[in-house]
Amino acid sequence: MLSYNALLEMFRQNSVGIPLITRKVVLYHTATKVAYIPPVTSLFAKIPILNLIVALLFWKPFFAVLFAPGLVCMLIALLPIIWFERKVTARVQWRYGPLEISRDIGGLIQPMADGMRYFFQEVITHREAHRPYFLQFPLLTFLPVLLPILVIPVGAIYAINTPYSIPAAIALISLIPMIIVAIGWASNSKYAYVGSLREAFMYFSYEIILIVAAMSMVILYGSANAIEIVREQSVVPGVILNPVAALVFFIAIIMATSRFPFEIPEADPEVVFGPFVEYTGIIFGLVMTIAYEKLYLLCLLFSILFLGGWNGPFIPPLGDLSPVLWLFLKTFALMMIFVFFRTFYGRYRLDQALKIGWSTLMGFAVVSLGISLGLGVINIAGWL
Amino acid sequence: MSEMKEYSLPVPVKPPAEIKSLELPVPPGLDEKATKGDEIVLFVGPQHGGSGHMRLIVRVHGDVIREVIPDPGFVHRGVEKLAENKLYVQNIPLVERPAIMDCVNFSLGYVRAIEQALDIEVPERARYIRTMLAEICRIGTHFYDAGILSVFLGHTTGFMWPFALRELTCEALMRVAGARITASYVVPGGVRRDVDNSTLNYIYEAMTYIQRKAKDFERIFVRNPVTIARLKDVAALSKKEAIKYGIVGPFLRACGVEYDVRAVEPYDAYDELTWDIVVADEGDSYSRFLVRVNEIQQSISIINQCIKTLKDMPQGNIVSADVAGKKKAKEGEEKKGLDTVNGAFFRLFGRLTLPAGEYTTLTEAARGTLLYTIVSDGKSNVPYRLRIVTPGWYYLKGFMESLKGCRLADLQAVYGSFGYFPPEADR
Repeated sequence: MLSYNALLEMFRQNSVGIPLITRKVVLYHTATKVAYIPPVTSLFAKIPILNLIVALLFWKPFFAVLFAPGLVCMLIALLPIIWFERKVTARVQWRYGPLEISRDIGGLIQPMADGMRYFFQEVITHREAHRPYFLQFPLLTFLPVLLPILVIPVGAIYAINTPYSIPAAIALISLIPMIIVAIGWASNSKYAYVGSLREAFMYFSYEIILIVAAMSMVILYGSANAIEIVREQSVVPGVILNPVAALVFFIAIIMATSRFPFEIPEADPEVVFGPFVEYTGIIFGLVMTIAYEKLYLLCLLFSILFLGGWNGPFIPPLGDLSPVLWLFLKTFALMMIFVFFRTFYGRYRLDQALKIGWSTLMGFAVVSLGISLGLGVINIAGWL
Repeated sequence: MSEMKEYSLPVPVKPPAEIKSLELPVPPGLDEKATKGDEIVLFVGPQHGGSGHMRLIVRVHGDVIREVIPDPGFVHRGVEKLAENKLYVQNIPLVERPAIMDCVNFSLGYVRAIEQALDIEVPERARYIRTMLAEICRIGTHFYDAGILSVFLGHTTGFMWPFALRELTCEALMRVAGARITASYVVPGGVRRDVDNSTLNYIYEAMTYIQRKAKDFERIFVRNPVTIARLKDVAALSKKEAIKYGIVGPFLRACGVEYDVRAVEPYDAYDELTWDIVVADEGDSYSRFLVRVNEIQQSISIINQCIKTLKDMPQGNIVSADVAGKKKAKEGEEKKGLDTVNGAFFRLFGRLTLPAGEYTTLTEAARGTLLYTIVSDGKSNVPYRLRIVTPGWYYLKGFMESLKGCRLADLQAVYGSFGYFPPEADR
């Protein structure tokens, strides 16, 4: 058994260093006097239970899952991206988009208002549903959404440092379609059935090329550890080394997250939100964000594999949060590109998506693998 | 409260035959039979994002549609029956109701049947104004259908732009007739109000703007690779099939049949204007859409010709002198029509009675051939029977037949490519 103090010491040994809040801030400094603001964390350092909680929150594995790049960062990315999607679509379509909820900031808090509305709407469970699964699966989606965070590091903040972090992350992300298919099964309705079948078929069409594109980068860098991969990219990012792999991965993300033109499982004029057709209220709010959460995770992977991850100028006051900032900015910019496709694409048919996935993209994926093998043989990553 | 009790009365009543027929068009046990096999039966609509106000009963095998049974009639309003209880002139707003975007074409067919019965000659200016407005309504309807097709394909920008452009046609209609839709503008013997030059200028500018913006629309939606992939070679009908199933309008022309009522039996000013019949050969969903996109260009050209002619004409003389009941003009003198119907509407049209007989007109509405038949008994001031066959009703059979063998996702694409409008078909 660990004693209280030993536990506290363990948390403090491996805590996130953010000089902005852990260092003393000097207000002024003359020959006689030094005045400073004590660090925020020291406020709780002596109080018995609180100091353990604060130490736990800043404990790196916990911080990674809960704050960055985990839940909090995800929410910070999600709310503006939904707003941005609606706003940019509206601008293209000669409309205003969300506005009235907060006129001064252009309706930025519209997603929050929508969430509130969902929260107070009635949750209807129809008679034919498998009630326990129907209500439980939307909550279970947080498992496959948050588990990959365990193996996705940001600079020095990580939960598990493993040489297999990229394959592990992809394997855990690929649990999400399982949950969606299960949701469709639990709904027990014809449209949900058709929708979950479509989800399963889309899963077939993108999963292989996603894995091949990621693996070709792993071969190129000679390591599947995200930290190693980012270090390799300190000079030249992966998108320049192997643009074909980047393209394949990019399109696979569009397919994986039901973005246009591959918004096939949820197609609302065809199968009325497919697997989610029977959901109402806050549970519908939860299942609706699955695609966005998945988009966030895959964009994290894309920035790590192709855009140099958290590489960027170090900002001293932020300390360990500096890489978090760079990775977050790259991820958010990527998400902005993905949601923009809504404005100028319609939606492909299921058989066309399968054909694209298994013919054109598969060809590109094999080519990207060849490029990586070639570059790996001449060890280009070692030279740069 | 005491409990309700059921009492059986020994009255020999048999369930009426309608009870059984109400199960139609779904044969009893269709769902069960399909589920036992390897098919599922999907009930698409009437409360479905991609069905409109109708129900489509789709028998699907895997992802391929085996059969689609239409169940129309959800927005049946009994226009034909209502018309039997209204004065001839009161029926003009009524017959527009089936397709409110296409109002002028719809009232035109009805009014022309009355004119045919009474042998009224319409003044030239009124004929040009009617033609111009009919084409404006055609543009509006084609934009509406393009928007619906886009949103069925998930292309929201392609939905918003045509609807925004349609506003211009609504505004033009409002400036001419006073209403954005359901103009009730055409009256027997002419039109209700005259058009001044500033309105004509507005319409000309609006058409120029539409022409320019339609190019943007073509770039973002019509020539979009995803749109082409979704529509090309989908639900193709051959020339023979199209004629066999009685398809009309732009959808018949998309199958390679060069038939347009405006050219075959010209009415109003169509034979005095130059325009082309837009024809395609493929007969698939994409050509059905393209024909209508190109028809917009033809309509704009017709409207511009009308504006040019109208500007050269003197104002006034918009209602035929035959309606005014003026005595026959003297020899060598031209009959002068009315400049306005203000204040004289009931005196002119209230006691309209048609001679006994049957009067039929064909009109080329935006979605195809529109047939009106008025049966008059020669005594009453209401029609004895009014028969309307709308284009939607004509091509419903062909629409259902073309869906066989398509993918399930094509259902909405084909729906949009036909521009099927249930209120119009159900009347």
